[in-house]
Amino acid sequence: MKLPTFLGLAAAAALCALAPAQDKPVVYRNARLWLGGKPPIENGVLVTAGGKILAVGGADTKAPDGATVVDCAGKTITPGLVDASFRAANNNDFNEQGDEITPHVRVLDTLDPDDRSFERARASGVTTVHVMPGTRNVIGGLGCVVKTWGADPKSMVLKEDASLRITMGSEPSQRNMAIRGGQVDSIYYRRPTTRMGVVWEARRAFYDAKEALQKSQGDPGAPPSAGIEVLTRVLKGQLTAVTTARSEQDLRTALRLAAEFGYKTILDDAQDAHVVLDELVATKSTVMLGAPSATVISGSAGGDGADPRSATVALLAQRGVPFVITTGSNLAALDLVREAMFAVRNGLSPTQALDAITVEPAKLLGIDQRTGSLAAGKDADFVVWSSDPLDPSAIAESVHVDGINVLALR
Amino acid sequence: MHRFPPFVFVATGLALAAGLHAQDLVVKAAKVVLAPDSVQSDGAILVRQGKVAFVGAEIPAEARAKATVVDYGDTWLVPGFVLPPNTLGRDRDLAEASLAFTPDLRAVEAFDPWQDELARLPASAVTALLLSPSPRNVAGGIGALVKPGKDGGSVATAETHVALSLTQAARNPERPPTSLMGACDLLRTAFAAAKQGTGGGPDVAVLRQALGGSRRIVIHADLLVELLAALDLAREFGFEPVLVGARDAEKVLPRLVQQKASLVLDPLQPAMRVTQLRLPTRLAEAGVPFCFGGRADQLRLAAVLAVRNGLDRKTALAALTRTPAQMFEQQASVGSLRAGCGADFAVFRGDPLDLGSAHVATFVDGVRVFGDAASPAATPTPATAAGDR
Repeated sequence: MKLPTFLGLAAAAALCALAPAQDKPVVYRNARLWLGGKPPIENGVLVTAGGKILAVGGADTKAPDGATVVDCAGKTITPGLVDASFRAANNNDFNEQGDEITPHVRVLDTLDPDDRSFERARASGVTTVHVMPGTRNVIGGLGCVVKTWGADPKSMVLKEDASLRITMGSEPSQRNMAIRGGQVDSIYYRRPTTRMGVVWEARRAFYDAKEALQKSQGDPGAPPSAGIEVLTRVLKGQLTAVTTARSEQDLRTALRLAAEFGYKTILDDAQDAHVVLDELVATKSTVMLGAPSATVISGSAGGDGADPRSATVALLAQRGVPFVITTGSNLAALDLVREAMFAVRNGLSPTQALDAITVEPAKLLGIDQRTGSLAAGKDADFVVWSSDPLDPSAIAESVHVDGINVLALR
Repeated sequence: MHRFPPFVFVATGLALAAGLHAQDLVVKAAKVVLAPDSVQSDGAILVRQGKVAFVGAEIPAEARAKATVVDYGDTWLVPGFVLPPNTLGRDRDLAEASLAFTPDLRAVEAFDPWQDELARLPASAVTALLLSPSPRNVAGGIGALVKPGKDGGSVATAETHVALSLTQAARNPERPPTSLMGACDLLRTAFAAAKQGTGGGPDVAVLRQALGGSRRIVIHADLLVELLAALDLAREFGFEPVLVGARDAEKVLPRLVQQKASLVLDPLQPAMRVTQLRLPTRLAEAGVPFCFGGRADQLRLAAVLAVRNGLDRKTALAALTRTPAQMFEQQASVGSLRAGCGADFAVFRGDPLDLGSAHVATFVDGVRVFGDAASPAATPTPATAAGDR
């Protein structure tokens, strides 16, 4: 008797899910291994133990004595996916509206380990995410990199201060009001109320930081304010700036501001990147392309004038602009792997697409020593897919974080 | 030096005057619970000048002979309940709305000894209250231990804990901080300033005293992410926090144990999920001190529900009496009926953790403020120590 397909799938999933993740070695055999940044291995072998990858190789890779063997014939194993710009579900508290310039507040303080978006991310193979403060402030604060599951909240954290979020465009000026002789009874009577004002606020903040940096040259112990301290780290190249800019004018402004103060910035969301390709090449900028499949403009300021194009991701690749694919702040974003699928449909090679959601974001976030690729010594963060992950019918049968199949925990 | 409000002097004066002329009082009951783990059968306490002077067999025969004896017969006499941080419905006066960071404000300045809500506390067997600034401010201010009384309330301790808050209530969209990130940053910056030398204003000085161990740091935190933030702050700056609310406490149980945190739980309700109802039991098993907060009239039911869901009776009674006193370092004066403590007690017609036991009377500082006088009428009668053990 032939079992219905879904039962067969379920049985296969159960087999992979049963693979334990304790200290005992587990060997995943006969899978197609996408290593991340390297050519794939057919009939490959992945060996894990104690939450780490012990070995990766071809069919002749030796299995440790006593290892549990999981047959993954017909399946593909990839590194756990890395979403470099991830929107938590419970993000109402991600903007500190007490001021427009809040470089020192940390999103980690408000990130709920039980956030339901982590569960959805895990189900679609995402094991690591970069979460940033919201986009309502000109300088929003410090982002962090966390795994989507951990035995305890602390173990989820890969990088506490991973980035500084800056936002261009009209989003930070929303709700602010000009004082026109009326009674000032709200903190929102303040700058910026325009796009120009947004840039002015950012420029003033970096100006202050630069001045503080210059003053402190002879006195490295001088304590700057917490916000200035963070901004000086950006100026010194010790902290990654991520500027969320969607439309052409905002992208150009983001690049101009970075050049003016001499810091490097990653461009986040960047829906109009296809218009500023020359500038991106010239400045050697990296793009975090948010939701390439989306045809609606990201963010709450719908009138920002971006013009999302399906071909953007392929154009970035053709021009050699470093990029990663993210879900970003776009409510219309698909699961991360499906965004990569969409990019392939629009001209990106499968290797580039998978690298753009695994090893490349891991490098960008400075966590590639831990995750983002399959190599001995790295965390056992990987996904067993029912088939090629870029095949629309593929499903994540088991998703492993530190060797533990987190799908089986539900 | 802080100035005390005039009523404090008046209240103190009255109490002193009353004490000089008051006769000793012996109160007898079939069971006298001196503390949850110390129960006397056919017990008695001798009250002198509002305090417990002697208990049981330690009562000198001469003093007993001269005292007024009040015999409540077949009842239980238990320490009065201590209500942990509470604004007693006076949020308007206990949340300084202009700023979120006001750790140097004192709740005692807003204490109204004639407040109706205060006068109603003895009806719920509550004899002491940690009046606390509202959790609507990130750093609300300094709490006070106050008591209800027949002739108005009194201040027992003018300054107790410092109240902080990371709850949604403290994040006000109309003034900074508007977010948990901002609230954490505000507190982290302030604690860092407090830790450095002697600088800063009176607000920082209060936090410095707290970090130095001279007052407890109380943080309102309900949800997991708020609890984690509070525990992170406590770890970073090296204090053992009292966490108020703590709805998601079970999710951080190992850290609560590790960081020696204490909890003030919201009152249990019959309609709650079983996991919530069993939380006190889980905390007790893990050795995390806890007490019950919320409305005074819900305290007893909370303890009863906890017992129904596995908590042992001693711990439950302690959670109403001794534990909150210890948690706020007021055990020398409230929370038990040991010699030297205030004569604050309630009389029940049976175990107070059985809802069928009627609440007969409540005494504060040896004065009956609720309920019935003992019958027969109290008169000076010779008493022997035979029945007191």
